[in-house]
Amino acid sequence: MRKPLAPHVFLLRNLSRTLPMVVVIALAVLLVAGIVALVNSVPLSVRSIYGYSKAFAAALPRNDPAYLPEMERELEESPVPIERVLRIRVAFFNVRSIVGKLPFVLHGISPEDGAFLRERLDLGQLTGRLPSPGAPEAVITRRLATNLGVNIGDVLLSPADQQNYSPQVVRVVGIHEGDLWFAYGDFDYVARNHLPPVDDLIIVAKDQRAFDRWAVEHFRGSRARILTHEELLRETDDSLRVLLQLLSVVIGLLVVVVTVMIGLFINIYLGQRLTEFGLLQAIGYTRSFLTRRASAEAALLVGLGWVLGVLLSLAVLWAAKVTLMDPKAYYLEPLDRVALAYTLPLPLSVLAASLLTIRLRFRKFDPVVVIERRVA
Amino acid sequence: MILASDVNLVYDDHGREVFACRDVNLIVREREFVGVLGPSGSGKSSLLYLLSGLKDPTSGGVRYRGVEFRACDDRRRAAIRREEFGFVFQYPYLIGFLSALENVLTGWLNGAEGVERAASLLERLGLGEKMHRRPDELSGGERQRVCIARALLNNPKALFADEPTASLDPKTGEEVVRLLAEHRTGALVLVTHDRRILAGADRVLRMEDGRVFEE
Repeated sequence: MRKPLAPHVFLLRNLSRTLPMVVVIALAVLLVAGIVALVNSVPLSVRSIYGYSKAFAAALPRNDPAYLPEMERELEESPVPIERVLRIRVAFFNVRSIVGKLPFVLHGISPEDGAFLRERLDLGQLTGRLPSPGAPEAVITRRLATNLGVNIGDVLLSPADQQNYSPQVVRVVGIHEGDLWFAYGDFDYVARNHLPPVDDLIIVAKDQRAFDRWAVEHFRGSRARILTHEELLRETDDSLRVLLQLLSVVIGLLVVVVTVMIGLFINIYLGQRLTEFGLLQAIGYTRSFLTRRASAEAALLVGLGWVLGVLLSLAVLWAAKVTLMDPKAYYLEPLDRVALAYTLPLPLSVLAASLLTIRLRFRKFDPVVVIERRVA
Repeated sequence: MILASDVNLVYDDHGREVFACRDVNLIVREREFVGVLGPSGSGKSSLLYLLSGLKDPTSGGVRYRGVEFRACDDRRRAAIRREEFGFVFQYPYLIGFLSALENVLTGWLNGAEGVERAASLLERLGLGEKMHRRPDELSGGERQRVCIARALLNNPKALFADEPTASLDPKTGEEVVRLLAEHRTGALVLVTHDRRILAGADRVLRMEDGRVFEE
């Protein structure tokens, strides 16, 4: 041991003092990262569940089927080239998410449009078969099947199910292996059995984002409702804004509590080490050396706590993802950069408080007072 | 080597002036063993702090090899204490989480040979077997010997010992003083209230109420 005064020596040889502080910081980091990652899993789920909306926009006439031909004419005027406009009908059922059940669309699509959409959405290899014309049958994707816990031959909608209602039992006849969430059935069956009795339009454009922006602006104030991916994201963010603001307050309070606590600990421990500091200054170490050494110890402790907290968070969130979320196709990102960013104020403020405490302690430190044993 | 001129050190005791040192004029020469004798509260320790630059006098000045302590900044003064002086205090102050060897090394200035030299010093002071023990595993006398090793590590030009035997039994105390005198590489200023341990001193000064008298 050539450098007995190196900062890590104190930390490693005084684990009964330093480990609790490291653990407190690590647990606080875990708490913050965990909460933020869980909250972020909500928009992540929404974006994933409704991710198919990136591929097309939907246009719905508001309670006026007669408006549909006019909508189609106006769509032809789009400055953004349109690849295809599909007429569909919709039925609804629920999927499970971390915040409860969310409505999901069973798209009623004609066989010709179905072939186009499968290719456009890249739904992946199909196990089973396509729905027969007019039959109460559905094809879903693997993620959706995992989420609902269904397989080929299982019931998706039924007359007995209030939330996933259809006048006839609709069974799953095929599953696409892709990651996208999507469900479709035969146009005729959905049109005959589900409300509203109005066709909706799906518009697939060459440049979907540009088309979506144009369509939203163009149909603003009209009798058409335009649904786009961007609008979905905006609505999700809006609905979570208050929650995130409240979360920031909670995290801010946590940071203050942990900062005060660690600051007090460090102050107490510095007080207990006055003899050591007095001795070192008496035998020739400068006040600035002692300040630097204590600061380096604090920085090491805080850094260690944060790194441990981040690793702990990754481990816990990964375990939660694998054991709790994945089996239900729920979304959770263990390496959530936003969650990690939220943890940064914690070590930074703790370090700032520690450095301030150290600076105040050493500002007028007199080794003779210590050597003469005039301090406790 | 060390020159104190018209030195006064005055404490303010609730509005009352108390002279810890009064009109002190003193020279400590190279390799000289100076004993400072006096009862408790006579100002012996204050004199030692003044001579070693740990304290500034209220008036007068202390010079080490021509350098006025008062004119030095914290860094320069610390460098003198670290590079030129060695200290043994009344209580065997050691850092609790470091071994005896590591405690000695806290006083080391340069490079790798420090470990070898520290180990060799501890061997010479009879602590070869215990150099890896922590302070709480050593007796009071052993701890004070570790402090002596730390003070001697840099071959100091001046060694300051403030009542180094006060917390030890008489036999161990005598042993500690013998070791200090035997292993010193420069001047030794030893402050004590026990006349017996100054038998080997070149010169003994007596302190009363802050004043210094030659014996």
